[in-house]
Amino acid sequence: MSVLSIKDVSKIFPNGNVRAVDSFSLDVADGELVCLLGPSGSGKSTLLRMVGGFETPTSGVMTIDGEDITRLPPEKRPTGMVFQSHALWTHMNVFKNLAFGLKLRKVSPDEIKRRVEGVLELVGLGGYGTRGVGQLSGGQQQRVALARSLVLEPKILLLDEPFASLDQHLRERLREEVRDIQQRLKITTLFVTHGQDEALSMADRIVVMRDGRTEQIDRPDVVYREPQTPFVAGFIGTMNLVEGTVSNGIFSRAGYSTPLPVSDGPATLAIRPEALDLAAAEDGGQGKVHRVTDYGTHGLVDLDLRDNTRIKAMVSHPDLFKAGQGVTLKPRAIAAYRDNALIHRA
Amino acid sequence: MTMTTPDQIGSVTPARRRPYGLLLVATPVLLVLWLIIWPIISAIITTLWVPTPEGSAFSIETYRFFFSDGYSLSNLSITLWTTGVCAILLLVVCLPIALYLRFSNTKVAAYVQGLAIFPMFVPSIILSFAFIRVLGPNGTVDLLFNAVGLPKIRTPYLTPWGPVIGLVWDNIPLTVLILLSGLGNVSNQAIEAARDVGAGRFALLWHIILPRISNSILVAISFAVLGIFSAFTLPYILGPAAPEMMGPFMQRTFRDLYDPQTAITQAVITFGFCIVFGLFYVRSVAKNRAA
Ligand SMILES: Nc1ncnc2c1ncn2[C@@H]1O[C@H](COP(=O)(O)OP(=O)(O)OP(=O)(O)O)[C@@H](O)[C@H]1O
Ligand SMILES: [Mg+2]
Repeated sequence: MSVLSIKDVSKIFPNGNVRAVDSFSLDVADGELVCLLGPSGSGKSTLLRMVGGFETPTSGVMTIDGEDITRLPPEKRPTGMVFQSHALWTHMNVFKNLAFGLKLRKVSPDEIKRRVEGVLELVGLGGYGTRGVGQLSGGQQQRVALARSLVLEPKILLLDEPFASLDQHLRERLREEVRDIQQRLKITTLFVTHGQDEALSMADRIVVMRDGRTEQIDRPDVVYREPQTPFVAGFIGTMNLVEGTVSNGIFSRAGYSTPLPVSDGPATLAIRPEALDLAAAEDGGQGKVHRVTDYGTHGLVDLDLRDNTRIKAMVSHPDLFKAGQGVTLKPRAIAAYRDNALIHRA
Repeated sequence: MTMTTPDQIGSVTPARRRPYGLLLVATPVLLVLWLIIWPIISAIITTLWVPTPEGSAFSIETYRFFFSDGYSLSNLSITLWTTGVCAILLLVVCLPIALYLRFSNTKVAAYVQGLAIFPMFVPSIILSFAFIRVLGPNGTVDLLFNAVGLPKIRTPYLTPWGPVIGLVWDNIPLTVLILLSGLGNVSNQAIEAARDVGAGRFALLWHIILPRISNSILVAISFAVLGIFSAFTLPYILGPAAPEMMGPFMQRTFRDLYDPQTAITQAVITFGFCIVFGLFYVRSVAKNRAA
């Protein structure tokens, strides 16, 4: 049973004339964490803000538990939003920041105290109630922001790049904490990010967005292993995308060719670096090694096809290769795309 | 190019560099002493050393006169009344304008801003005559009313409301600008977060916006009050002959009654009140700095 259902929602900003979100549909199940992932300007924030009530869809319908919320103002929605930054009320201390929403709901002071302290404990800020929010570190501030939403027990938690302003280390820690809390409370969550590792590590499902549209909606491992479009293939993880032509079941590009059992025409070949083996070639081979980088556990070989198309391969013995050397490519897994759709996988 | 901060000047070569800094500060300090502090002291001395047949002697007679003279007191109270009413009206008028300008992103907002700032560029004397032509006897409003068969308005010209209307209009730009800069400190996300937890318009204004701009309100009101309390042109042209505000009162005592000492006493008393308002301003600025 889906808690949040978004049907054919579009948003056109009156001044911009761009379709920030374009016929977007998504059903989110109870307790699920869905990541909206996409490059800058792909409409993630706009979509999230529409769910939160801060933007009105130009068309389409959104329901929460079957109830139409498309036109409700934010204060009437059972959603809680965590903003990127600067959203705490600096004239109130931590306790008051959390208590504000409860007071508006006329919850009794005892109950407020109990709930606020419980949630502060949950986000690891027990005893911080009397601190001014200005006295907190960036990470603590974002925990307060999260606690402020959680204390109202929203049906849907919305997070818009909540860790973007934090450093890498802290971001990873908070990511795990949020995931833990989310699973403990079983709270339905929409999480916006443009970091693929964030999406891959947290999400139950990932929605990859591009220009306001959905490119793919799948479990993280599926998105990684079976990208449905070349865009997703290139956006998630590192991927070699080689454009070429197929004739008589052979894909070729600048001296490199490989069997590809599809009809004749243009095609884009996708090979992960970790699925590409190299073999030293005596007679120039299909490509030439440009640079070898040794990471200790593995090595990365940058090589150029004859028309200087750059390709990356992950190798376990980098010392076998050196710059200028000719190699042949032996992909273990390939996918091919045509007209923005997957046509072959092997 | 190398940059030198004041700290470095002090620590690198204290003996040689420091006098330049002091010299730079000395000019304004001397000017302030000469043109502001000294006149104040001299005025206070003048009012306290009263000429007697045997030479001058210390006396608080001029102040006693002021505070026992019914006319002086009613002038003081009309000044306080005008200032108070203007302050309240300014808030009532300017807060909505500032809020609108801050939170609207339509094209109309730009025009409203232009209109709100416009009085800043109009000299008060022109403003006064515009007021008379519009709201005065046989002014535009009267003519319009007459044209549709309505009775004449009771014009605020030459009543205490005349200066109030003029002064409020005159002070709208500065007040709006100060409030607007205060509202600039309230982030959109803080406001959206409040709506998100369920705050309606009123709760938003009362619990989130007003506390954040209380300082700006205090500053705006202190500024307006300081100007209004000692205003001259608008009360002089638009106000009643009696009671009159302190500005015109001083001028008349000085020019028409040839009584400089009484005029200076009135000035010192006006200054005293302004200092109190000034302290409010200083205090709120200091509080702002601390925060
Ligand atoms: N208030 C607005 N008025 C006009 N256009 C807007 C507005 N907000 C967003 N847009 C446009 O809508 C498109 C999507 O913006 P959005 O902020 O949703 O992107 P995003 O995916 O969140 O990007 P980022 O990762 O940079 O946050 C962009 O082209 C943007 O310029
Ligand atoms: Mg965004």
